[in-house]
Amino acid sequence: MNLGREDRQSRLDLLAAEYALGTLPWRARRRLQRAAAADGTVARAIGAWERRLCGLAIAVPAVTPAPRVWTAISARLGLGAAGTAPGAWWTRMTFWRAFALASFAGLLALGVGNLVSRQEAPGAIVVVLAGPDAKPALVATASPRERVLRVKAVAPITIAGDRALELWLLPAQGDPRSMGVVPSAGTVAVPLATDSGDFLAGAAGLAITLEPAGGSPTGKPTGPILYSGKIVQI
Amino acid sequence: MADPTPAANAQEARRAVLADLLARTALADEKAFALLYRHTSSHLFGVALRIVRDRSVAEEILQEAFVNVWHHAGSYAAARSQPLTWLTAVVRNRCLDHVRRRELDTITLTPADDDAPAIDVAGNDPSPADLLLAGADALAVRDCVERLTGSTRQAIALAFFQGLSHAELATHLREPLGTVKSWVRRGLEKLKGCLDALGVGA
Repeated sequence: MNLGREDRQSRLDLLAAEYALGTLPWRARRRLQRAAAADGTVARAIGAWERRLCGLAIAVPAVTPAPRVWTAISARLGLGAAGTAPGAWWTRMTFWRAFALASFAGLLALGVGNLVSRQEAPGAIVVVLAGPDAKPALVATASPRERVLRVKAVAPITIAGDRALELWLLPAQGDPRSMGVVPSAGTVAVPLATDSGDFLAGAAGLAITLEPAGGSPTGKPTGPILYSGKIVQI
Repeated sequence: MADPTPAANAQEARRAVLADLLARTALADEKAFALLYRHTSSHLFGVALRIVRDRSVAEEILQEAFVNVWHHAGSYAAARSQPLTWLTAVVRNRCLDHVRRRELDTITLTPADDDAPAIDVAGNDPSPADLLLAGADALAVRDCVERLTGSTRQAIALAFFQGLSHAELATHLREPLGTVKSWVRRGLEKLKGCLDALGVGA
Protein backbone atom coordinates (compact mmCIF):
# COMPACT_ATOMS: atom_id res chain seq x y z
CA MET A 1 0.00 0.00 0.00
CA ASN A 2 1.28 3.39 -0.84
CA LEU A 3 -0.96 5.59 1.21
CA GLY A 4 0.12 8.99 2.36
CA ARG A 5 1.08 9.28 5.99
CA GLU A 6 -2.14 11.03 6.91
CA ASP A 7 -4.32 8.55 5.03
CA ARG A 8 -2.59 5.68 6.72
CA GLN A 9 -3.06 7.30 10.13
CA SER A 10 -6.78 7.82 9.64
CA ARG A 11 -7.21 4.31 8.22
CA LEU A 12 -5.41 2.87 11.22
CA ASP A 13 -7.54 4.97 13.54
CA LEU A 14 -10.74 3.67 11.97
CA LEU A 15 -9.54 0.06 12.20
CA ALA A 16 -8.62 0.59 15.85
CA ALA A 17 -12.03 2.16 16.51
CA GLU A 18 -13.92 -0.76 14.94
CA TYR A 19 -11.63 -3.16 16.80
CA ALA A 20 -12.42 -1.58 20.16
CA LEU A 21 -16.14 -1.28 19.36
CA GLY A 22 -16.12 -4.93 18.25
CA THR A 23 -17.44 -4.73 14.69
CA LEU A 24 -14.17 -5.66 12.99
CA PRO A 25 -14.59 -9.12 11.36
CA TRP A 26 -12.50 -12.00 12.69
CA ARG A 27 -9.73 -12.06 10.09
CA ALA A 28 -9.20 -8.30 10.19
CA ARG A 29 -9.33 -8.49 13.98
CA ARG A 30 -6.57 -11.12 14.05
CA ARG A 31 -4.49 -9.14 11.58
CA LEU A 32 -4.75 -6.03 13.72
CA GLN A 33 -3.84 -7.99 16.87
CA ARG A 34 -0.72 -9.29 15.16
CA ALA A 35 0.15 -5.83 13.88
CA ALA A 36 -0.29 -4.41 17.40
CA ALA A 37 2.10 -7.00 18.83
CA ALA A 38 4.79 -5.91 16.39
CA ASP A 39 4.12 -2.19 16.06
CA GLY A 40 3.67 0.25 18.93
CA THR A 41 1.77 2.73 16.74
CA VAL A 42 -0.97 0.17 16.16
CA ALA A 43 -1.06 -0.86 19.83
CA ARG A 44 -1.35 2.79 20.90
CA ALA A 45 -4.19 3.48 18.45
CA ILE A 46 -6.11 0.52 19.90
CA GLY A 47 -5.30 1.55 23.47
CA ALA A 48 -6.60 5.05 22.85
CA TRP A 49 -9.91 3.71 21.55
CA GLU A 50 -10.26 1.28 24.44
CA ARG A 51 -9.76 4.18 26.84
CA ARG A 52 -12.41 6.18 25.01
CA LEU A 53 -15.02 3.43 24.82
CA CYS A 54 -14.59 0.83 27.54
CA GLY A 55 -15.45 3.17 30.41
CA LEU A 56 -18.88 3.64 28.82
CA ALA A 57 -19.76 0.09 29.94
CA ILE A 58 -19.94 1.31 33.54
CA ALA A 59 -23.77 1.25 33.70
CA VAL A 60 -24.13 -2.39 32.65
CA PRO A 61 -26.03 -4.18 35.44
CA ALA A 62 -23.66 -6.38 37.41
CA VAL A 63 -24.23 -10.14 37.45
CA THR A 64 -22.47 -12.16 40.14
CA PRO A 65 -20.56 -15.06 38.62
CA ALA A 66 -20.85 -18.52 40.21
CA PRO A 67 -18.29 -19.21 42.97
CA ARG A 68 -16.73 -21.92 40.78
CA VAL A 69 -15.14 -19.21 38.64
CA TRP A 70 -12.95 -17.96 41.48
CA THR A 71 -12.28 -21.53 42.59
CA ALA A 72 -11.03 -22.35 39.10
CA ILE A 73 -8.89 -19.19 38.92
CA SER A 74 -7.19 -19.80 42.24
CA ALA A 75 -6.70 -23.49 41.46
CA ARG A 76 -5.07 -22.69 38.12
CA LEU A 77 -2.76 -20.13 39.68
CA GLY A 78 -2.06 -22.22 42.77
CA LEU A 79 -3.18 -19.42 45.09
CA GLY A 80 -3.24 -20.09 48.84
CA ALA A 81 -3.82 -23.79 48.23
CA ALA A 82 -5.79 -25.41 51.07
CA GLY A 83 -3.55 -27.09 53.63
CA THR A 84 -0.33 -25.62 52.27
CA ALA A 85 0.28 -22.07 53.33
CA PRO A 86 1.68 -20.07 50.43
CA GLY A 87 5.43 -19.65 50.67
CA ALA A 88 7.19 -16.37 51.33
CA TRP A 89 7.05 -14.03 48.33
CA TRP A 90 10.65 -14.61 47.33
CA THR A 91 9.96 -18.31 46.87
CA ARG A 92 7.10 -17.74 44.47
CA MET A 93 7.48 -17.91 40.71
CA THR A 94 4.94 -15.15 40.18
CA PHE A 95 7.07 -12.69 42.13
CA TRP A 96 10.07 -13.44 39.94
CA ARG A 97 8.08 -13.08 36.77
CA ALA A 98 6.69 -9.70 37.83
CA PHE A 99 10.14 -8.77 39.09
CA ALA A 100 11.76 -9.47 35.71
CA LEU A 101 9.16 -7.39 33.90
CA ALA A 102 9.33 -4.45 36.29
CA SER A 103 13.13 -4.46 36.26
CA PHE A 104 13.23 -4.39 32.51
CA ALA A 105 10.75 -1.51 32.36
CA GLY A 106 12.72 0.36 35.02
CA LEU A 107 15.94 0.01 33.05
CA LEU A 108 14.26 1.22 29.90
CA ALA A 109 12.72 4.16 31.69
CA LEU A 110 16.03 5.37 33.05
CA GLY A 111 18.43 4.27 30.35
CA VAL A 112 21.23 2.17 31.79
CA GLY A 113 23.83 4.05 29.80
CA ASN A 114 23.16 7.23 31.72
CA LEU A 115 23.61 5.66 35.11
CA VAL A 116 27.24 4.83 35.24
CA SER A 117 29.93 7.26 34.29
CA ARG A 118 32.45 6.23 31.66
CA GLN A 119 35.35 6.30 34.09
CA GLU A 120 33.85 3.50 36.10
CA ALA A 121 35.73 0.26 35.73
CA PRO A 122 34.20 -2.63 33.87
CA GLY A 123 32.56 -5.10 36.16
CA ALA A 124 30.52 -2.39 37.85
CA ILE A 125 26.95 -3.29 38.65
CA VAL A 126 23.80 -1.23 38.58
CA VAL A 127 20.36 -1.93 39.92
CA VAL A 128 17.32 0.18 39.12
CA LEU A 129 14.76 -0.29 41.88
CA ALA A 130 11.27 0.33 40.58
CA GLY A 131 7.81 0.05 42.08
CA PRO A 132 4.86 -1.81 40.54
CA ASP A 133 4.29 1.18 38.27
CA ALA A 134 7.75 0.48 36.77
CA LYS A 135 8.89 4.00 37.68
CA PRO A 136 12.45 4.02 39.00
CA ALA A 137 12.58 5.09 42.65
CA LEU A 138 16.15 4.27 43.64
CA VAL A 139 19.32 3.37 41.84
CA ALA A 140 22.09 1.28 43.39
CA THR A 141 25.58 1.13 41.91
CA ALA A 142 28.79 -0.59 42.95
CA SER A 143 32.15 -0.84 41.27
CA PRO A 144 34.64 -3.61 42.01
CA ARG A 145 37.27 -1.07 43.14
CA GLU A 146 35.30 0.25 46.11
CA ARG A 147 33.67 -2.02 48.60
CA VAL A 148 30.48 -0.01 48.84
CA LEU A 149 27.08 -0.10 47.28
CA ARG A 150 25.77 3.41 46.68
CA VAL A 151 22.01 3.68 46.89
CA LYS A 152 20.46 6.88 45.64
CA ALA A 153 16.80 7.89 45.72
CA VAL A 154 15.84 9.27 42.30
CA ALA A 155 12.17 9.95 43.04
CA PRO A 156 10.41 11.31 46.11
CA ILE A 157 9.46 8.52 48.51
CA THR A 158 6.99 9.10 51.32
CA ILE A 159 6.74 6.71 54.24
CA ALA A 160 5.19 7.03 57.70
CA GLY A 161 7.49 8.21 60.49
CA ASP A 162 7.41 4.86 62.29
CA ARG A 163 8.44 2.89 59.20
CA ALA A 164 11.74 2.30 57.49
CA LEU A 165 12.93 1.17 54.08
CA GLU A 166 15.03 -1.96 54.28
CA LEU A 167 17.27 -3.08 51.46
CA TRP A 168 17.57 -6.79 50.69
CA LEU A 169 19.89 -8.74 48.48
CA LEU A 170 17.99 -11.49 46.71
CA PRO A 171 20.38 -14.39 46.20
CA ALA A 172 19.79 -16.76 43.31
CA GLN A 173 18.63 -19.22 45.97
CA GLY A 174 17.62 -18.94 49.59
CA ASP A 175 16.32 -16.18 51.78
CA PRO A 176 16.90 -12.47 51.19
CA ARG A 177 19.93 -11.05 53.00
CA SER A 178 19.46 -7.70 54.72
CA MET A 179 21.74 -4.89 53.59
CA GLY A 180 20.38 -2.52 56.16
CA VAL A 181 17.97 0.35 56.32
CA VAL A 182 18.21 3.01 53.62
CA PRO A 183 16.96 6.61 53.82
CA SER A 184 14.00 7.74 51.70
CA ALA A 185 15.98 10.64 50.20
CA GLY A 186 19.57 11.32 49.22
CA THR A 187 22.37 8.79 48.86
CA VAL A 188 23.68 6.19 51.24
CA ALA A 189 26.82 4.09 50.95
CA VAL A 190 26.31 0.53 52.18
CA PRO A 191 29.63 -1.11 53.02
CA LEU A 192 30.18 -4.48 51.36
CA ALA A 193 31.98 -7.41 52.91
CA THR A 194 35.07 -8.68 51.10
CA ASP A 195 33.20 -11.48 49.39
CA SER A 196 30.25 -9.31 48.42
CA GLY A 197 31.56 -8.40 44.97
CA ASP A 198 31.18 -11.93 43.67
CA PHE A 199 28.10 -12.47 45.72
CA LEU A 200 26.45 -9.39 44.25
CA ALA A 201 27.27 -10.44 40.71
CA GLY A 202 25.75 -13.87 41.29
CA ALA A 203 22.58 -12.57 42.94
CA ALA A 204 19.29 -12.00 41.18
CA GLY A 205 18.48 -8.55 42.42
CA LEU A 206 17.74 -6.14 45.19
CA ALA A 207 14.43 -5.38 46.84
CA ILE A 208 13.22 -2.79 49.30
CA THR A 209 10.49 -3.61 51.78
CA LEU A 210 8.58 -1.46 54.21
CA GLU A 211 9.56 -2.44 57.75
CA PRO A 212 9.10 -1.08 61.27
CA ALA A 213 11.49 1.75 62.19
CA GLY A 214 14.98 0.30 62.63
CA GLY A 215 14.36 -2.55 60.21
CA SER A 216 12.78 -5.98 60.21
CA PRO A 217 12.59 -7.46 63.72
CA THR A 218 12.98 -11.01 62.39
CA GLY A 219 15.91 -10.67 60.02
CA LYS A 220 13.65 -11.58 57.12
CA PRO A 221 11.33 -9.27 55.18
CA THR A 222 8.05 -8.77 57.02
CA GLY A 223 6.46 -5.87 55.14
CA PRO A 224 5.33 -5.39 51.53
CA ILE A 225 7.86 -5.06 48.74
CA LEU A 226 7.90 -1.47 47.57
CA TYR A 227 10.65 -1.59 44.97
CA SER A 228 12.75 -4.23 43.32
CA GLY A 229 15.25 -4.48 40.51
CA LYS A 230 17.58 -6.84 38.74
CA ILE A 231 21.36 -6.70 39.08
CA VAL A 232 22.89 -5.67 35.80
CA GLN A 233 26.59 -5.96 35.18
CA ILE A 234 27.99 -3.15 33.09
CA MET B 1 -12.58 19.40 37.72
CA ALA B 2 -13.72 22.54 39.50
CA ASP B 3 -16.47 21.21 41.72
CA PRO B 4 -16.45 17.45 41.98
CA THR B 5 -19.81 15.94 42.87
CA PRO B 6 -20.05 13.28 45.60
CA ALA B 7 -20.52 10.71 42.82
CA ALA B 8 -17.33 11.89 41.15
CA ASN B 9 -15.53 11.69 44.49
CA ALA B 10 -16.79 8.15 45.04
CA GLN B 11 -15.64 7.22 41.55
CA GLU B 12 -12.24 8.72 42.21
CA ALA B 13 -11.94 6.79 45.48
CA ARG B 14 -12.92 3.56 43.73
CA ARG B 15 -10.41 4.24 40.98
CA ALA B 16 -7.65 4.71 43.55
CA VAL B 17 -8.57 1.47 45.36
CA LEU B 18 -8.59 -0.56 42.15
CA ALA B 19 -5.33 0.98 40.92
CA ASP B 20 -3.71 0.04 44.23
CA LEU B 21 -5.05 -3.52 44.03
CA LEU B 22 -3.74 -3.88 40.48
CA ALA B 23 -0.32 -2.56 41.50
CA ARG B 24 -0.15 -5.05 44.36
CA THR B 25 -1.36 -7.84 42.08
CA ALA B 26 1.60 -7.04 39.82
CA LEU B 27 3.84 -7.95 42.77
CA ALA B 28 2.04 -11.27 43.23
CA ASP B 29 -0.01 -10.15 46.26
CA GLU B 30 -2.69 -12.83 46.44
CA LYS B 31 -4.89 -10.95 48.87
CA ALA B 32 -4.96 -7.90 46.61
CA PHE B 33 -5.79 -10.09 43.63
CA ALA B 34 -8.68 -11.74 45.50
CA LEU B 35 -10.02 -8.30 46.45
CA LEU B 36 -9.67 -7.09 42.89
CA TYR B 37 -11.77 -10.04 41.77
CA ARG B 38 -14.34 -9.36 44.48
CA HIS B 39 -14.65 -5.70 43.48
CA THR B 40 -14.81 -6.11 39.72
CA SER B 41 -15.97 -9.60 38.72
CA SER B 42 -19.72 -8.91 38.84
CA HIS B 43 -19.41 -5.87 36.61
CA LEU B 44 -17.13 -7.69 34.18
CA PHE B 45 -19.36 -10.78 34.18
CA GLY B 46 -22.36 -8.57 33.35
CA VAL B 47 -20.43 -7.07 30.43
CA ALA B 48 -19.31 -10.51 29.18
CA LEU B 49 -22.78 -12.10 29.44
CA ARG B 50 -24.31 -9.47 27.18
CA ILE B 51 -21.80 -10.11 24.46
CA VAL B 52 -21.46 -13.91 24.49
CA ARG B 53 -25.00 -14.61 25.78
CA ASP B 54 -23.97 -17.90 27.32
CA ARG B 55 -23.26 -18.32 31.00
CA SER B 56 -20.65 -21.04 30.75
CA VAL B 57 -18.79 -19.26 27.95
CA ALA B 58 -18.86 -16.01 29.96
CA GLU B 59 -17.55 -17.88 33.03
CA GLU B 60 -14.76 -19.39 30.97
CA ILE B 61 -13.82 -15.97 29.60
CA LEU B 62 -13.87 -14.35 33.04
CA GLN B 63 -11.59 -17.10 34.30
CA GLU B 64 -9.13 -16.68 31.41
CA ALA B 65 -9.20 -12.92 31.80
CA PHE B 66 -8.32 -13.01 35.51
CA VAL B 67 -5.57 -15.60 35.00
CA ASN B 68 -4.21 -13.20 32.41
CA VAL B 69 -4.54 -10.22 34.76
CA TRP B 70 -2.55 -12.10 37.43
CA HIS B 71 0.32 -12.63 35.00
CA HIS B 72 0.20 -9.27 33.28
CA ALA B 73 -1.02 -6.81 35.91
CA GLY B 74 2.38 -5.15 35.49
CA SER B 75 1.43 -3.99 32.01
CA TYR B 76 -1.51 -2.06 33.42
CA ALA B 77 0.68 0.94 34.27
CA ALA B 78 1.75 1.22 30.65
CA ALA B 79 -1.85 1.34 29.46
CA ARG B 80 -2.37 4.77 31.10
CA SER B 81 -5.97 3.79 31.63
CA GLN B 82 -8.55 3.81 34.41
CA PRO B 83 -8.33 0.43 36.16
CA LEU B 84 -11.89 -0.66 35.47
CA THR B 85 -11.64 0.56 31.86
CA TRP B 86 -8.51 -1.52 31.39
CA LEU B 87 -10.12 -4.62 32.94
CA THR B 88 -13.24 -4.11 30.83
CA ALA B 89 -11.09 -3.96 27.70
CA VAL B 90 -9.34 -7.21 28.69
CA VAL B 91 -12.68 -9.00 29.15
CA ARG B 92 -14.44 -7.45 26.14
CA ASN B 93 -11.58 -8.37 23.83
CA ARG B 94 -11.86 -12.02 24.82
CA CYS B 95 -15.63 -11.91 24.33
CA LEU B 96 -15.28 -10.26 20.94
CA ASP B 97 -12.64 -12.77 19.86
CA HIS B 98 -15.13 -15.48 20.78
CA VAL B 99 -18.14 -14.08 18.90
CA ARG B 100 -16.19 -12.92 15.85
CA ARG B 101 -14.44 -16.29 15.52
CA ARG B 102 -17.66 -18.21 16.01
CA GLU B 103 -19.23 -16.14 13.27
CA LEU B 104 -16.53 -17.30 10.88
CA ASP B 105 -17.11 -20.95 11.85
CA THR B 106 -20.84 -20.81 11.26
CA ILE B 107 -20.95 -18.47 8.33
CA THR B 108 -21.42 -21.23 5.77
CA LEU B 109 -23.97 -23.06 7.91
CA THR B 110 -26.24 -20.25 8.96
CA PRO B 111 -27.28 -17.36 6.79
CA ALA B 112 -26.67 -14.13 8.68
CA ASP B 113 -30.32 -13.11 8.83
CA ASP B 114 -31.27 -16.49 10.21
CA ASP B 115 -30.17 -16.09 13.75
CA ALA B 116 -31.89 -13.44 15.74
CA PRO B 117 -28.97 -11.63 17.26
CA ALA B 118 -30.42 -8.89 19.41
CA ILE B 119 -31.78 -10.88 22.28
CA ASP B 120 -33.12 -9.14 25.30
CA VAL B 121 -30.90 -10.24 28.15
CA ALA B 122 -33.88 -9.83 30.47
CA GLY B 123 -37.35 -8.52 29.76
CA ASN B 124 -37.18 -5.35 31.80
CA ASP B 125 -33.52 -4.70 31.11
CA PRO B 126 -32.37 -1.26 29.97
CA SER B 127 -31.87 -1.04 26.20
CA PRO B 128 -28.32 -0.76 24.83
CA ALA B 129 -28.96 2.88 23.91
CA ASP B 130 -30.09 3.58 27.50
CA LEU B 131 -26.99 1.85 28.85
CA LEU B 132 -24.82 3.99 26.63
CA LEU B 133 -26.49 7.17 27.86
CA ALA B 134 -26.27 6.05 31.47
CA GLY B 135 -22.58 5.21 31.03
CA ALA B 136 -21.95 8.58 29.42
CA ASP B 137 -23.79 10.21 32.32
CA ALA B 138 -21.55 8.50 34.83
CA LEU B 139 -18.47 9.74 32.97
CA ALA B 140 -19.97 13.24 32.58
CA VAL B 141 -19.90 12.93 28.78
CA ARG B 142 -23.66 12.60 28.13
CA ASP B 143 -23.48 15.39 25.60
CA CYS B 144 -21.21 13.33 23.32
CA VAL B 145 -23.73 10.48 23.15
CA GLU B 146 -26.73 12.77 22.81
CA ARG B 147 -25.13 14.39 19.79
CA LEU B 148 -25.37 11.11 17.88
CA THR B 149 -28.57 10.66 15.89
CA GLY B 150 -30.99 8.01 17.19
CA SER B 151 -30.06 5.33 14.65
CA THR B 152 -26.33 5.91 14.98
CA ARG B 153 -26.56 5.78 18.76
CA GLN B 154 -28.53 2.55 18.56
CA ALA B 155 -26.10 0.94 16.11
CA ILE B 156 -23.09 1.83 18.24
CA ALA B 157 -24.78 0.75 21.45
CA LEU B 158 -25.82 -2.63 19.97
CA ALA B 159 -22.31 -3.24 18.71
CA PHE B 160 -20.70 -2.12 21.95
CA PHE B 161 -22.90 -3.90 24.49
CA GLN B 162 -24.08 -6.93 22.53
CA GLY B 163 -21.13 -7.46 20.23
CA LEU B 164 -23.16 -7.33 17.02
CA SER B 165 -21.28 -7.40 13.72
CA HIS B 166 -22.10 -5.04 10.84
CA ALA B 167 -24.22 -7.75 9.22
CA GLU B 168 -26.11 -8.43 12.46
CA LEU B 169 -26.67 -4.70 12.94
CA ALA B 170 -28.09 -4.44 9.42
CA THR B 171 -30.46 -7.33 10.07
CA HIS B 172 -31.53 -6.03 13.44
CA LEU B 173 -32.05 -2.44 12.31
CA ARG B 174 -33.52 -3.50 8.93
CA GLU B 175 -31.18 -1.24 7.02
CA PRO B 176 -28.73 -1.92 4.18
CA LEU B 177 -25.28 -3.03 5.27
CA GLY B 178 -23.60 0.01 3.72
CA THR B 179 -25.88 2.39 5.61
CA VAL B 180 -25.18 0.70 8.93
CA LYS B 181 -21.44 0.68 8.29
CA SER B 182 -21.38 4.39 7.59
CA TRP B 183 -23.52 5.13 10.69
CA VAL B 184 -21.01 3.26 12.81
CA ARG B 185 -18.05 4.92 11.16
CA ARG B 186 -19.41 8.44 11.36
CA GLY B 187 -20.67 7.86 14.89
CA LEU B 188 -17.21 6.74 16.03
CA GLU B 189 -15.59 9.78 14.43
CA LYS B 190 -18.05 12.08 16.15
CA LEU B 191 -17.55 10.36 19.48
CA LYS B 192 -13.81 10.65 19.16
CA GLY B 193 -13.90 14.37 18.55
CA CYS B 194 -16.25 14.98 21.45
CA LEU B 195 -14.67 12.57 23.97
CA ASP B 196 -11.15 13.78 23.21
CA ALA B 197 -12.27 17.39 23.68
CA LEU B 198 -13.54 16.42 27.16
CA GLY B 199 -10.32 14.59 27.96
CA VAL B 200 -11.78 11.06 28.07
CA GLY B 201 -9.13 8.55 27.12
CA ALA B 202 -6.58 11.27 26.49
